[in-house]
Amino acid sequence: MNDIVDFPYPVPEYGAEPFWQACNDEQLVMQRCELCSKLRWQPAPLCTFCASDQYVWAPLSGRGRISTWTVVTHPVHPAAAARVPYVVVEVELEEQRGLRLISNLQGTDHDAIEFDAAVEIAFISHANGQKLHVFSLA
Amino acid sequence: MDSIRDLACIVGIGHTEYSKDSGRSELKLACEAIQAALDDAGLRATDVDGISKYTMDNNDPVEIARCLGIPHLRFFSEVAYGGGGGPMGTIMQAAMAVATGQAKAVIAFRAMNERSGRGTARFGQAAASAGAGGPSSYVAPFGLFSPAQMVAMAARQHMHRYGTQSSDFAEIALTCRHHANMNPDAVMYGRELTLDDHQSSRMISTPLRLYDCCLETDGGAAVIVTTPERGRALRQPPIMIAAGGLGGGSWNHRFMVRDLDAGESEATIIAKRLFNDAGIRHEDIDVLFIYDHFTPLVLMALEEYGFCKRGESKDFIAGGRLRWPDGDLPMNTSGGNLSEGYIHGMQNTIEAVRQLRGVARCQVEDANYAFVSAGNAVPTSAMILRRDS
Repeated sequence: MNDIVDFPYPVPEYGAEPFWQACNDEQLVMQRCELCSKLRWQPAPLCTFCASDQYVWAPLSGRGRISTWTVVTHPVHPAAAARVPYVVVEVELEEQRGLRLISNLQGTDHDAIEFDAAVEIAFISHANGQKLHVFSLA
Repeated sequence: MDSIRDLACIVGIGHTEYSKDSGRSELKLACEAIQAALDDAGLRATDVDGISKYTMDNNDPVEIARCLGIPHLRFFSEVAYGGGGGPMGTIMQAAMAVATGQAKAVIAFRAMNERSGRGTARFGQAAASAGAGGPSSYVAPFGLFSPAQMVAMAARQHMHRYGTQSSDFAEIALTCRHHANMNPDAVMYGRELTLDDHQSSRMISTPLRLYDCCLETDGGAAVIVTTPERGRALRQPPIMIAAGGLGGGSWNHRFMVRDLDAGESEATIIAKRLFNDAGIRHEDIDVLFIYDHFTPLVLMALEEYGFCKRGESKDFIAGGRLRWPDGDLPMNTSGGNLSEGYIHGMQNTIEAVRQLRGVARCQVEDANYAFVSAGNAVPTSAMILRRDS
C-alpha cells in the first residue's frame, strides 16, 4: 500500500472516455443533448431531461461559481494523510443552472472561500499521467 | 388494498451486543440476532419461511436458513441503498410478503462487523485503492470518499441558506447521547457529552465534527414480521405497520452530495403518502426515530418529512423537545446510530417496537404512534408503527 502516492486515478466508465481524453487535452467537455440542447453531468447514456440518446461532447468554458465546499481534515485514504487539509469544491458551471461538478479548489486561503465565488478551471496531472480538472478563484 | 396499513405487524425483536469488535463472524451475529427475535416472539425457526435482507449485508439467506434450521424458504428478497433502503425497506418487503400470503413469517435483519472490519469494510474509510471506477471515478480522484465528506457539503449549504449553526447539529448529538446514557446496552453508555465537548471535538470535514458523525459498530439486529391474525396469538403484543414507503429520484446523485435546490427529495416523496396511509397527522406521532448517520441530515429529515418547514428545524428542536422525559417529542430514545450503536438503523426500529410495547427504558407515556425513518441523502425508506388497539 506504500506505493499509493496519490488519490485514486479515474478508471473511465464505458462511454465516458471522451471526457477524460478531453481533460488530457486540457479541455472540459460534457454531453450536450442533440434534441433538447441540455448539458448533463455525470455522463449518462440518455439525456436526464428528455431521455434522448443523441448527444455530442460539447466544450465548456471552465468558468463557474462555488455552490458548496468542504475542507477535508481527517484523512481516510492512504494518499490523504499528506494532503490534508484539502478543499473539495462543488462548482456550478456557467453554461447551465444546476450543472455541478466535484473538483478541488487550489491556491486559496481556506477561510477566504465563499459561496458563489467565481472560479476558473485548470488541469493538473495525476501521478499516473491522467490530467484532472481543478479550480481556482477567478 | 390501497396501502400496507394494518396488514402486517412486528412480533419479535432481537439483537446482539453492540461493540467495536464482536469476535465472531457476521453469520454468527445474524443468527444470534434472529434467534433472539424468534425467542422474543415465541416462535421457532420452523415457523419462519421468509428472509428479507439489505443488499449490502454479506449474509446469505440460505446460509442463515441452514444454520437456524428453517426448513422451507418461500420468500427471500433484498433492498438496495444500504442504510437508506434497508432499514424500513426490508420490513416493508416482509410485510408485503405476509400480507399477500406469499409467506407466513418473515425475518428482516442487519448484521455486520463494520467497526472491526472483519467482513465489512469500515464505511468511514476509503478502500486503499490506486484507481476508482464507476461513479467514484468522478469524485475519488479529488479526495472525496466518505459519507461524512459528502454530507459536510450539504450541511454547509444548509447553514448558509437557513442560518443553521454547528450548535444546532450538536443538539442532535447531545440528545442521542442523553438517551444512550440511560441505556446500558449503548456503546456510549456512561460517557456524558456536553456542548463544549461537541464544539471542541476533532474536525472531520468542515463543518462536520467528530460528534456529528455516527458510530461504527459490530453487531446484529433483527425483527420478525407476520400477519395481525397470527401476531395476536403470539407472546408479545403485535406492533402494527400503519404505513411504510420507499423514496428516491433523479435528485439522488450517485453519491450523498445532496442538492438542496431540488424541490423534492427521497423524504418528501415518502411523506406525500405516508401520513395519509396511516390515517394520522404529524401531531399524532408520540416518539420519533430519525436515522442519525450525521446530525445535519437529521435536521433535513425533520424538514423534509414535514415535521417543520424547510430551514426551521433548528427552531423545531430547540428547548430540548427531543429529549426524554421532558421533551414533548422524544427522538431516538435508546441512543440511535450516534450513541447506541450503528446497526445501519435496524436498532432504531427495535427501540420503536419497545416504545409501542411500553417497555422502553426511556418510555414515552401512552406511546401509540412511532415514526421511523432510514438514512436520507440516499434513496430511503420510512415507516409509521402503531400500537394494536
